[in-house]
Amino acid sequence: MKILIVEDEKELSESIATYLKGEDYVCEVASSFNKAIEKTELYDYDCILLDITIPGGSGLDILRELKANNKMDGVLIISARNSLDDKVTGLTLGADDYLPKPFHLSELSARVAAIIRRKNFDGNDLLQFQNISIDIRAKSVSVNNKTIELTKKEYELLLYFVSNKKRVISKNAIAEHLWGDDMEGNNDFIYTHIKNLRKKLMDAGDTDYIKSVYGMGYKFSDT
Amino acid sequence: MKLLSKYNRLNIFVTIVVLLLSAVFYYFFIKAVLIHQLDKNLLVEERELKDYVKEENQLPEPSNYKDEQEVYSQINDSQIIRRFSSIDVFNKEHDENISYRQLEFPVMVAGKMYRIDVRKSQEETEDLIQLILEITLAMVLILLITLFIINRFVLNKLWSPFNSTLNQIKKFNVSGTNDIYFQLTDINEFKELNGAVYTMTKRASHDYNEIKSFTENASHEIQTPLAIIKSKLELLSQGESLKEEQMDTIQSIYETTNRLSKLNQSLILLTKIDNRQFHEKEEVNLSTIVHNHLNNYEELIAAKLIAVTKNIEDNITVTMNEMLADILISNLITNAIKHNIDNGSIDVTLNKHFFIISNSGIELDAHPAELFERFKKDKVNSDSLGLGLSIVKKICDTYGFSVLYEYAGGMHIVSIQLS
Repeated sequence: MKILIVEDEKELSESIATYLKGEDYVCEVASSFNKAIEKTELYDYDCILLDITIPGGSGLDILRELKANNKMDGVLIISARNSLDDKVTGLTLGADDYLPKPFHLSELSARVAAIIRRKNFDGNDLLQFQNISIDIRAKSVSVNNKTIELTKKEYELLLYFVSNKKRVISKNAIAEHLWGDDMEGNNDFIYTHIKNLRKKLMDAGDTDYIKSVYGMGYKFSDT
Repeated sequence: MKLLSKYNRLNIFVTIVVLLLSAVFYYFFIKAVLIHQLDKNLLVEERELKDYVKEENQLPEPSNYKDEQEVYSQINDSQIIRRFSSIDVFNKEHDENISYRQLEFPVMVAGKMYRIDVRKSQEETEDLIQLILEITLAMVLILLITLFIINRFVLNKLWSPFNSTLNQIKKFNVSGTNDIYFQLTDINEFKELNGAVYTMTKRASHDYNEIKSFTENASHEIQTPLAIIKSKLELLSQGESLKEEQMDTIQSIYETTNRLSKLNQSLILLTKIDNRQFHEKEEVNLSTIVHNHLNNYEELIAAKLIAVTKNIEDNITVTMNEMLADILISNLITNAIKHNIDNGSIDVTLNKHFFIISNSGIELDAHPAELFERFKKDKVNSDSLGLGLSIVKKICDTYGFSVLYEYAGGMHIVSIQLS
């Protein structure tokens, strides 16, 4: 999976690249408008992370260029200008998603995974992790070929974990992913939620993949 | 009072006074002229009579018409003074008093002294004066009608560039993109006004855009470093060989950074509402929004074992910005969950007139009115930013909803009057 990061802040693009490489993505970085245009003309990417304000032009123009050339690359706009206009313009121009800065890398990774899944269906809607299989289209989960009943939030939580395998995910990131920005503050309720999901998976005969990491959050890992 | 009616009131008052004064003047002037004319005629009569007496040595037959009379009376006294006077004489034939102008003078006929009264009717004069009065009244009337017509049709048209400019100013919105357009006019005052308004609105829009782009740039500049800090911390926390105290430190920095970025976002939101940047309005279905948010936080509500009582009427709509409606409801519902106690309760009421949300909780130290101010928060919950309720207030103010907080019977009650 190839990803292009169009972002002029070197520190940020490096962090993103480092994090996504851990998910087995191949990442390239373009730090200016011209470089981004050059790369998108030469190569196809599975997903392009697009900052709107970049030196030499607007990220929205790159998006226009892509659509004009009928490129099928998925586009995720990452913008510090959390303005409604940019969001609406971006999505109207054909971007797949919009993520305002500052974001959690785990959230970014989940969004990228979702875009790539949507782009590369190939008739395969199944996401496999060990003996857990997730049917993206039907939004159902089975363990050892046995379907388990998950609530909507538990399903989203599992998908979030699978998109961030072997990563420490903070409780904040989980809370924001599931309930949005307004639930700042006390994140203790996450615990109850994780407990429920873990119980359902283990009842179906699965190993416990959800590990709590001291002080920070959780990690979904098979090791 | 309209400038026009004030001006007209003065104008009409002065005109009527002037017309009445001139009518009085006319009256005396014309009366004097006419009487002078009558007196001249009477003198002619006198001369004719005296000539007749000189030639014939006797008095002529006295005429006795309605408009001309001669009366002779013999007198002994020769002390009579020749003089003009106005008198009323009763006329039997017409059964009315008729005013006459009279000249009396003495005449010696055949050695006898006579007093001669020559009279001419003043009726014509009075008719004339009456006519003048009528004409004056008619003119006052015509003047009033003319002014009314001028007001109604001509002046309104004359003032129309002014009214159009006024409407444009009323509609003017600094955050709007459309320019002000003025009605063409050849009146200097209006031209000057339009010019001044144009310059002023241009400057306001320009300044507004400066501030707007400053806010956006500031937010951009702050969010990017925050994004870097956040991402670095997330990478750092992936480390396998971290000690517990290092993890604690990372987590603490991470949470503080989150707080900072939320604070920044909230302040930007408040500024944007202040700047009326959410000017798109539509019919928003509040019932749906309330249900959606309650569903979204279902698990959190369940985790705290909170009992929710819903009194939500279907299809309650308000005209406002959809995003702001969403933020408003979301803020209030998350507040009600966050500041609740275990096994507590939340009551949500929504109807045409009110949105009321109340939740169980401990009484606050803060004064109720201060809760809506920025950064006012209770000591108990230091996690909250203290901006949630001021955002609620700001949104309500934008749409003229009144919002009230009270604490009663162990419940925090926030009520918003929608209409």
